[in-house]
Formats: sequence, C-alpha cells, structure tokens
Amino acid sequence: MIRPKLQTVKTHENGDGVASKAPPMVVRDLSKSYGSIEVISGLNMHVDPGEIICIVGPSGVGKTTLLRSLSGLMPPTSGSVSVGGKVITQPLEEIGIVFQDYRGSLMPWMRTLENVAFPLQGRGIGKAEREQRAQECLDTVGLSDAGQKYPWELSGGMQQRVAIARALAYDAHILLMDEPFGSLDAQTRLGLEDLVLDLRSRLKISVIVVTHDIDEAVYLADRVVVLAGKPASVVDNVDVDLGMNRDQIKTKSDPRFVEYRNRVLSEIMRVRD
Amino acid sequence: MTADSNRKRLWRASPGLSLIQAWWLPIICILAWWFLSAGSKSFYFPSLETILAVLWRDLTEGPLLSYMWISLANMAAGLVISIVLGVAFGLLIGEFGQLRDALMPMLNFLRSVPPAAIVPLVIVALGTDAAPKIFIIALTCFWPILLNTIDGVRGMTPQLRDTASAFKIPYSLYFRRVLLMAALPQIMAGIRIAVAVALVLMVIGEFFGASEGLGFYINENKQRFAMTETWAGTVLIGFLGYLLSAIFVKIEAFALSWYFQSENAND
Ligand SMILES: Nc1ncnc2c1ncn2[C@@H]1O[C@H](COP(=O)(O)OP(=O)(O)OP(=O)(O)O)[C@@H](O)[C@H]1O
Ligand SMILES: [Mg+2]
Repeated sequence: MIRPKLQTVKTHENGDGVASKAPPMVVRDLSKSYGSIEVISGLNMHVDPGEIICIVGPSGVGKTTLLRSLSGLMPPTSGSVSVGGKVITQPLEEIGIVFQDYRGSLMPWMRTLENVAFPLQGRGIGKAEREQRAQECLDTVGLSDAGQKYPWELSGGMQQRVAIARALAYDAHILLMDEPFGSLDAQTRLGLEDLVLDLRSRLKISVIVVTHDIDEAVYLADRVVVLAGKPASVVDNVDVDLGMNRDQIKTKSDPRFVEYRNRVLSEIMRVRD
Repeated sequence: MTADSNRKRLWRASPGLSLIQAWWLPIICILAWWFLSAGSKSFYFPSLETILAVLWRDLTEGPLLSYMWISLANMAAGLVISIVLGVAFGLLIGEFGQLRDALMPMLNFLRSVPPAAIVPLVIVALGTDAAPKIFIIALTCFWPILLNTIDGVRGMTPQLRDTASAFKIPYSLYFRRVLLMAALPQIMAGIRIAVAVALVLMVIGEFFGASEGLGFYINENKQRFAMTETWAGTVLIGFLGYLLSAIFVKIEAFALSWYFQSENAND
C-alpha cells in the first residue's frame, strides 16, 4: 500500500524465499575504539534481506555503538559495514533509525505529520507528496488520526510509533532500532513487537533490533546475535526457527521458544562469569 | 499538573482578575506618585499632573510625537540588525566547535568593552545622523543574542543532531527547522534582554550630537532647566519600556507556544 513506486525496485531473495527489497548488510572485522578504549573488536555479522535480527548483550557492552556504526553515523575504527555490496561511509537513504530515546528524537515544535514528513523535505519532495506519504506511514503504524497532534501530546508508545513511521516514510529498507520499547509498559511493548513483525511481513524490510529483553529478542528474531566481552564481539548466533507468523501467547509457550530463550540466556550468563 | 491547568483555566475564565493581577503594582505606584506629588511647588519634582499635561501638550502640539517615532525607528533598526546577526553567528558558532574555539576568546574580549564608552568614538566615526545611534544599539544588543543563541544550540538534545544526520537533512533545512527552533527559547530570552538594553541605548545615543529624538528632547530640556519637560520625556520612555515588554511577552508566548505546552506536558 505504501510507496507504490517501490514495487519496481529490484528485490533480493533470502533463504526463506521472501522477496525483499532490502539490500543485504555485511559487517566485516568491525572494531571501534573511543580514544584508547576498544569497545568492539573484530566483529562479524550479516543481515539477509527481509530478516529480523536481534542484538542482545549486557548493558554497556557496545550495542548502541554497534548500531551507530551500522547506520553510518559513526565511522568504525577498522573493518567495514557494507550494504548491497558497497562499504558505507555515511548514513544511507536505505537505512532508517529509531533511537533509544524517542522523546529526544521527535521535534517538539513540529506536529506529528510534519515530523514524519520532514526527512522527505530534505530530499526535495514537494509538500503535498510528502504529507501524503507521511499520512500513509502513520496509517501503517495505526496512528491515522494523530497527524495534527504534537509529539508531547502523545503517549510514549504512540511517540515510538511516530518514530517508526518516520523511518518508513524515509523509504528505509533496513530499519535499525535501539532498545525501541525499553521504557514502555508491557502491554504497549507487546503491541509494538507485533507491529514490527507485521511491518516486516508486509513491507519486506530488514529489521535490526537492539534489546535487553531476551524474550523480546527470541520472539522477534529470525536470528539472535549475542554480544559479549570487553571488547565486545559476537559470541553466538542463535537461529530462531519459529516461522513467520508468531503469536504472543502461542509462540511464547512453544517448547522451542523456551529452548531458544534458555540458550541465549545461558550464553549471556556464561560470558558474564 | 491538573491542579496547574485548573488554575490556568480559572484565570482565563476571569479576565478581570488576571488584569488586576498584572497591573496592581504599577497602578498603586502611579496613584501614590499622583497624590504624593499633587500641588508640588518643588522645581525639581513637579506634580505628576503637570508632567502629564506637558507630556500631552508636547505630544499633540510639540515635536515629541515625531521624536518618538524617530527614536523607535532607530531602536527597531538596531534590534533587527542585532537579531539577524546575533542569531546567524550564534547558530554557526554554536554548531561548529572549531569556529567556537577560534572565535570565542576574541568575542569575549570585544564583549567586555562597555557600550557607553564607545558612544563618543562612534559619533566621531559615523557622524551625527541615525547611523551611529543604530550602530550602538545593534552592537550592544548583538552580545546577549549571540551568547544566548550559542547556549541554545549547545543545549539541544544530541538525539536531534543524530536524527538530522541519520535522515540526511541538508544544512540549510537543518539550520532553519532544527537548530533555530531548538535554540528559540534561549534566543527569545536573549532578545528580551536586548529590548531592555536597546531602550537605554536609544536614549543615551541621542544625548550626544543629536538634533532630534527622545534622548535629545530630555537632554535639551534638562540643559534649559525645563524640569517638567525633562520629566515628561522620562515618563514617556518609562511607558514605552512597559509597552515594549508587554508586546514582547505576547510575541514570545505565540512563538514558543509549543515550548511552554510541552514543558507542561512533561512535568
Ligand atoms: N561517545 C563515547 N565516548 C566514550 N566512550 C563511550 C562513548 N559512547 C559509549 N562509550 C562507552 O562504550 C561502551 C559501550 O557503550 P554503548 O552505549 O554502546 O553500550 P550499550 O550496550 O548500548 O549499553 P546500554 O545497554 O546501557 O544502552 C560503554 O562502556 C560506554 O561507556
Ligand atoms: Mg545503548
């Protein structure tokens, strides 16, 4: 429904045969130091088109640092991030970001619709077209009626959906989310988890979610990437084979879900000791 | 927060009450002045009644009204120049650390020169028409606006900067729609200071080498020992100051309505 033009973009096939317009992302030997302190060392990972990857790890391990490197906001100290075969050196139009602190990333002087449309203005898209696209993306995240409200008039969960809509309006084929639901109540959080699954299956985008919450990681992910160590690197890749259609109650009581969760948890515990 | 908004609704519901709230002190002062000075025979302290009578006479029959417009026009020109330059340089200096490091020592030095001290110099350099008066107002008002704008930019949440770069917002748009707006509350605080300063400098600037304007009117009458006229000019300036700050509060409330409301929402 959104972005009809994009249907013509060449698509990529991933292992499950999902036709996705997202380019593959490959991280090679990525290291990042702040001054003399190395936070990430020799990290390798890849994101196939249409995949949901969850990155888990203890607080302070370097998850935000990794995500900022993936987004092109921060150059790695060494190694590379490539998208569709090209090494990125700056933020790309294919990548949309939803920040950890949604309150701080929406502009309080713009109404919701303007906030969502603003990145399109930067691309020189006319007012009518960008507002129409913004409205479509607000519809997609279930906020059809919030366009004329200011962000601070919305609840936390609604603000986070606005941030997601903004990334979608931008044409993001790869969505990066940094602890997107960390500060929300449980019910809102579950709703937004399902929204992410739904967006992936409708829009065929790739999603990379950083989270503290292991249940959330296993519920969302096709693959959970466990980060640990100082400096951090990938200590485990857990393929979560729970299919495309997940349900908060059924999936989470599936014995395989419990098994995956225990595996991720024990991996984190093992490295912490 | 609900108690607060209830109180606000109450005030809005009764405009008479809020008028009294805003005006009681000036009204009491004016009444006290009026009655205490009534029938005064003092040469230096004429009664308020005679002051107002002279003020009215010079406004309607004398040159005072045209002087007032001349002075206000100079002040407006000086303020506009200082706002444009102060905000533009403030945004640039606030945003670019290297620019800040290069310029701040020099700016701090220049800022410490007291404006009144350069008035005679500027008149020598720029002559006695409007230019030096506008220059002095613009130069002095430039500082509070510049420094407040820099602070406003520095105080912007870093997520907004990240958001702008992640979504590749071009600089022109970023400066207008992100930086400027984020700094606007601070900028308005700077302009508020500038308006008060501009009024003072408007008067001082016309004490020297002027042949028209409110400062000229006061100074000339003082030299003729026409105390009532001197008082009338002073009262008029006091009134203008009050009016300007009232107008400014309205403009600020309009320009920053999103800010005041969001501050309330976050409490
Ligand atoms: N700009 C910076 N300068 C110096 N050190 C930094 C900077 N940003 C992060 N660090 C350090 O790098 C490490 C990793 O930080 P990062 O924010 O990536 O962790 P995180 O995994 O996202 O943590 P959390 O789960 O709490 O969000 C921390 O030790 C942090 O102190
Ligand atoms: Mg983090």
